[in-house]
Amino acid sequence: MADKLCMVVSEGTFDKAYMPLIMGTTAAASGSEVHVFYTFFGTGLLKKVAKPKLPGMYRLFTGMFSKKMKKVGIPGHDEFMKQAMDMGVNFYACSTTMDLMGVKESDLKPGVKILGAASFLKLAADAKTTLFIG
Amino acid sequence: MCPMPIVHLAKKVKELKSGQVLELLADDIGAKEDVPAWCSRTGHQLVGTEEDGKLLKFYIKLK
Repeated sequence: MADKLCMVVSEGTFDKAYMPLIMGTTAAASGSEVHVFYTFFGTGLLKKVAKPKLPGMYRLFTGMFSKKMKKVGIPGHDEFMKQAMDMGVNFYACSTTMDLMGVKESDLKPGVKILGAASFLKLAADAKTTLFIG
Repeated sequence: MCPMPIVHLAKKVKELKSGQVLELLADDIGAKEDVPAWCSRTGHQLVGTEEDGKLLKFYIKLK
């Protein structure tokens, strides 16, 4: 069962932050190889401490929402990403947008790799499923 | 809650041997479809399911 799931994440809000983690851990748990490429506003999610907020006005309710998620057993963002990594999910920062978004290599969580678009496209070329989260 | 039943399930399966039957309890309604889907993707065999109020029970025989 060596199929492959690739995802592109271009937004950094709470909802867009959790979706690739939910999809990614599930796919990894089902035996898939998983690659997640973070670009534009998604790049900040790869920082050592990322605190994504709900979009728009809902950002005010982020704390309440996180508590609700913890209650049903879904870990906090950074812990969830660590769990995903332990399950073999690969996380990549887009090299171009790192500069644009002011994210330095030393800001990234341990285990995150830096990748260019061409390399990601090569990874995605033979993936069975590619999702764009943005 | 999705995806945690599947994530915990995959972790547990690694600790068990082929032929063993695992009992999974879940209170996530999504698990009803997710667990059979996971079994068909991974090749493990779903040998039984039970519903006890909101609690779902799955019996999975490892390949």
